[in-house]
Amino acid sequence: MRADAAAGTRLTLSADGLRLALAGDWRLAELPSLAPALAGMRPRAPLAVDGAALAALDSAAALALLQALAAAGMQADSIDWQGFSAPHRRIVDDVLRRSAALAEVPPHRRHRWLAGIGKHTEVIYRQSADHLNFLGETLMAFLEVAVAPRRLRLRELTAQLEQACLNALPVVALVTLLIGVVFAYLLGLQAEQYGANIFVVDGVGIGMSREFAPIIVAVIIAGRSGAAFTAQLGSMRLTEEIDAIRTLGLSPMQVLVVPRVLALVIALPLLAFIGLVAGLAGAALVADAMLGIPPAAFAERLHGALAITHVWAGLIKTPVFALAIAVVGCRMGMHVGRDTRAVGLATTSTVVQSIVSVILLDAAFAVLFQELGI
Amino acid sequence: MNAHAPVIEVDGIVTRFGENTVHDGVSFSVARGTLAALIGGSGTGKSVLLREIIGLHRPTAGTVRVLGTDMWRAPPAEVAVVRRRFGMTFQDGALFSSLTVAQNVAVPLAEHTTIEPQMREHLVRLRLAQAGLPADAATKMPSELSGGMRKRAALARALALEPEILFLDEPTSGLDPTTARGFDTLVRSLVDNLGITVFLVTHDLDTLLTVVDRLIVLADGKVLADGHPGEIARLDDAWIRAYFAIRTMVGGSPGREESPNRSDGS
Repeated sequence: MRADAAAGTRLTLSADGLRLALAGDWRLAELPSLAPALAGMRPRAPLAVDGAALAALDSAAALALLQALAAAGMQADSIDWQGFSAPHRRIVDDVLRRSAALAEVPPHRRHRWLAGIGKHTEVIYRQSADHLNFLGETLMAFLEVAVAPRRLRLRELTAQLEQACLNALPVVALVTLLIGVVFAYLLGLQAEQYGANIFVVDGVGIGMSREFAPIIVAVIIAGRSGAAFTAQLGSMRLTEEIDAIRTLGLSPMQVLVVPRVLALVIALPLLAFIGLVAGLAGAALVADAMLGIPPAAFAERLHGALAITHVWAGLIKTPVFALAIAVVGCRMGMHVGRDTRAVGLATTSTVVQSIVSVILLDAAFAVLFQELGI
Repeated sequence: MNAHAPVIEVDGIVTRFGENTVHDGVSFSVARGTLAALIGGSGTGKSVLLREIIGLHRPTAGTVRVLGTDMWRAPPAEVAVVRRRFGMTFQDGALFSSLTVAQNVAVPLAEHTTIEPQMREHLVRLRLAQAGLPADAATKMPSELSGGMRKRAALARALALEPEILFLDEPTSGLDPTTARGFDTLVRSLVDNLGITVFLVTHDLDTLLTVVDRLIVLADGKVLADGHPGEIARLDDAWIRAYFAIRTMVGGSPGREESPNRSDGS
């Protein structure tokens, strides 16, 4: 059997090119070694193929043989198949029967970059429109709750509050504390040169309360809760739970979306306040160690320098951020495609979209406050 | 090559999940070129047994030999070689959702063979045709397919390496009767035309009574009956009678109704 390893003995064409003898194993695994011999043969019509010495034949090898014969100009129906065992003959017939279907290989979808830009633009446009639409639906659902407060799912709301608010406390406090430390340190490096150490308190106080605490916390929550909303609702859609809710005569907006949105709108201002306190605590640590401002002096200066308006200006933004994050997260989950890959894509997209929308909203607030003189 | 050597040998399989004994000495073997089916009530461990045979779940005791290789004691390299010689379709298809149908079928070919891309492309088309899919299904994503098409695509992927054995887990579940019968015919033709051994787990009586050569009934952790479906349908066992009674109720196949009480203690 060892001699069969050479393709030459598994495929013998008679000198006049009219008789092709096959032998040994003709399987998918041996195709690479058979291919050169198949490509190199020059048979002539009328051709007889002798399969008496075949040990094994599978449909992949039969396909390769038939294609090589076709490439050499042989008509499949004029070939004389000799000596094939019944199972081998059936395999050849099976492949022959399907060869018509193989001829029409559908054209590949081609990607052109211009078409790609157009497609993406359309997707962004549609998605923005859908988000606005969903925001409207959500507000309508809130109106229903306002009219009949008993519709509010308190249990779900508290569960979501625990998830989005309580469980987020450690990470929010840690991150904002470190931001406070870094911010005070950098300001301190500059202020020290002018002996204006105490102004670090002013800078950190206003900066943390107006911008850093709300933005940092909103970004954390976008990554944490926004992504969770999409993943939860997306898998519920995949397992048809959302359809089940609808067929039971319940509104998915009331059961799933309202508690999540409300929980986030409540949670984000609270978390932002915690973030602000933690950030100031971090700054106070640096002020004490590096700038020689003891905590008592820090607190007193803060009391004098930080007008309460700054704190309000920072906190008032957070429910709007929360609304944007929750609406994006819920909509991406509710409208996800029905396969596992789509859930992953939608979750990634939620994080990107909600962070971008938080930044955009923040810019809008900055312009607004500027005009209002706050 | 011995045409009737057993390709699947299951010997004394015991499976326990904690206190719960699912299999208590299951033994059977399947010869090459057979279309064998495994049935049993819910919770009799059909799917677990299938997973044990293909090497996904380790049985508590007993041996499984597929194509002569002990799936649980042979070195990993040897098992890997055997894995390439059988194919498996899962209940919901388990197609890779980020790849098109053609790419799904091409995965095992690209991974385990060195054939040229051109030939691979043609082979993928052949597999799709063998699984009864239209040519335009090739560029579709799994999410765009109907349930029946998805099962066919999974079959095409399982066929990719021209396996000697095909394992099918509930191949016709969730399909309408017409589509299911088409699938039965397709599986039968794989056995008859390509000489593939098929081992399937099913609940579909029509599959059992029309295309299956060999039926293995699992009950109480043991093999309750093993033989031709027509013979098994006539056995005097409460569960088997109830199982096949559904068929006679809807007026199915005459000739299987006449002697439901003939007993032979197999």
